Amino acid sequence: MSSRRSRSRQSGVTRISDDQMADLVYKLQQLLPEIRHRRSDKVSAAKILQETCNYIRNLHREVDNLSGRLAELLESTDGESAEAAVIRSLLV
Amino acid sequence: MNHRVPDFQEVEDDFSIPTSSGLSNSRPRRPAIGEEEIMELLWQNGQVVAQTQKSSKKAAIGDGCETVITAEQREIRPGGEEEPTQQHLFMQEDEMASWLQYPLDVSSFDRDLYADFLYSAPPPSTPPITALAPPRSVVDIRPAAPPVQVPPRIQNFLHISRIPTRLRNESGIPMSGVAAGTTNARSLTVVESNETPVLGQVSHTVEDSKVNVPGRNVESGPLVEAGEVAVGPAEFTVTSSPSCSGASFSSGGDRRPPESVAEDRKRKGREAGYSELPKEDTEFQATDIKPQAHGSTLTKKSRAAEVHNLSERRRRDRINEKMKALQELIPRCNKSDKASMLDEAIEYLKSLQLQVQMMMSMGCGMVPMMYPGMQQYMPVMGMGMGLGMGMDMSMNRPMMPYPSMLPGSALPNPAAAHMSACFPMPAFHLPPVSVTDPSRIQASNQTDPTSNSAVSHNPNQPQMQNFNEPYQQFLGPRQAQPPLPQNQTVVQSISKQPSNRKDIGNT
Repeated sequence: MSSRRSRSRQSGVTRISDDQMADLVYKLQQLLPEIRHRRSDKVSAAKILQETCNYIRNLHREVDNLSGRLAELLESTDGESAEAAVIRSLLV
Repeated sequence: MNHRVPDFQEVEDDFSIPTSSGLSNSRPRRPAIGEEEIMELLWQNGQVVAQTQKSSKKAAIGDGCETVITAEQREIRPGGEEEPTQQHLFMQEDEMASWLQYPLDVSSFDRDLYADFLYSAPPPSTPPITALAPPRSVVDIRPAAPPVQVPPRIQNFLHISRIPTRLRNESGIPMSGVAAGTTNARSLTVVESNETPVLGQVSHTVEDSKVNVPGRNVESGPLVEAGEVAVGPAEFTVTSSPSCSGASFSSGGDRRPPESVAEDRKRKGREAGYSELPKEDTEFQATDIKPQAHGSTLTKKSRAAEVHNLSERRRRDRINEKMKALQELIPRCNKSDKASMLDEAIEYLKSLQLQVQMMMSMGCGMVPMMYPGMQQYMPVMGMGMGLGMGMDMSMNRPMMPYPSMLPGSALPNPAAAHMSACFPMPAFHLPPVSVTDPSRIQASNQTDPTSNSAVSHNPNQPQMQNFNEPYQQFLGPRQAQPPLPQNQTVVQSISKQPSNRKDIGNT
C-alpha cells in the first residue's frame, strides 16, 4: 500500500493521489449499508465520512448492548458449559 | 439507534421538502381545532393530511413521517380536498406566528434556501451560483453597500440554520470531541467572515445577541489548526455568511448545530468525487492573488473563482473535520496520514461489523447450532425489528456454519431454531471477506431441547461469519475456539468454505 502513496511533503501534507482517496472512500461506501447502493459520483466524501462515524457509533452502541445481554446470559447459564466459554470469549 | 439513523434521512427529507412546499415542513404534527370532530393535521410525506384523532394515534405510534393510511384518512382526503389546503394555510399562519419573532423576509426565504443549497455546489454548477448572484452581487460589488440590505440576508441564513437545529433537538447525541472540533471549524468561518467589512458590521448588528462574534478573538484562541486559514486573505463573498450563521449557534453553545451545519453542507455539497485533497496548496496560492484583484477590479471571473475557491476550501474543511472525528472513533489510531487512517477505518469498521454480528447471533439464542444444509443464507427475517438499524439484510456471502454438535445429540435437534428468536440478525451487509482462519465457536446443544422446540423452527439457518485474523487486533483478546467434534454427517452435508478447516477430516 505504501507504494501507492507519494511521499512528497508540501507544507506538511502528504500528497495522496486522488485515486487513492477515491478508492478508500469507495471502500467505505461499500461498507456502509445505507449509502452502498447510491451512485458513487453523487455521494460526497464528507457525507461518507459522516456516515462512517455514525455507523461506528451505532456499532459501538450495539456492542455495548449485546455485551450487556451476553453478560446476563452468562449469568443465567452455568459457568461450566461450553457456551459460557463462548460467551466469555465474546465479551471483550 | 432508532432515532439516530433515521435522523439524517428524516432531516434530509425535510430539507428536500421546503423547496417544494415552502415553510410548513418543520412541524410534523399540528392539531387543527375547529372541526366538529377532532381532526388532526398530520404532515405526512410532504402533504398535510387531516386525520381523526384515533387514527392519528396509530400514526403516532408508527414511524416518523411514513404515510399511515387509515380508512378515515381515505375518506377524509378525497372528501376534504379543500380542507387540507385550508388547513395548510392555517398551518402556515401558525408557523408564521412562530417565525415572527425573527424579522424574516418570507419571500426571500425560499430563495435563500436555494442559495444555501447551491453555495458549495461544485464548479460546474457555477451558473446557478451566478444566477443567484443578483441578490448577492449587490453586496459583492459594493462592499459599503447599505447594511440594511444585508442584514435580512444574514438573518435569513440564521433561520435556515435554525431549522435544522430545531429539528435535531430531539436526538441529542453527545459529540464529545467532535463538537469541539466542529465548533472550532465553525468559528473559523466566523473569523473569516469578520474579515469582510460588510459582514462584519452585519454580524455585529444582527448576531451580537447570539454570537460572540465580536469575541472572535476569544474563539480564535482555540483555533489552533485553523490558524493559517483564519489569517488568510480577506474572503469577501457572501458565501461565508451561511457559515457565519452556522457558527452563531455553535458558539451559542448548542451542540447540535455543528452537526446541523454539517448537514447543510453535506446536502449542499453534491460534489462529484473526491478530488480536492491534493489541491490544498494551490488554494492558498490562489487566494493570495485574489485580494489584489479585488483591490483593483472586481471582475466576474475573479469573483467566480473566489467563490469556487471558498467553496472548495469549505468542503475541504468539512472533510478534514470529519476525518478527525473518525480518527477519534477508531481505537489505537496513531496515523496522521489520511489514507492510512482511512485504511484503518475500513478495517475497524469491518471488524466491528463482524463482532456485532457474532455477538448478536451468540447472544440471542443460547446455542448457535448447526443445521444440515446450512449453506443457505439468512432470509430477510426480522429485518429491522430488533435493531432498528435500518440496514439492509442481504448477507450474500457464504458463511461458516457453527459447529454445534456434541456427540450423541440427534441431528435435527440442533436445529438452530433458537436463532430465530434472535432473528434480528445483524441486518447489515458485510462485504465479502476472505475466510482465512475459521475460528469455531463451541456450543453445546444440551442445554434445552425444550427451548429448541419452543422456538419456531426456522428453515434458513443463520450462519456465522468467520473471523478474520487481521481484525483480531481490534476485537481484543478473542481466542479461536477449538472446534467441537462434529457429527460426521453434518459435516459432510454442509458445503464448506474453501478455507482450511481444522476439523474437517477429524471424524
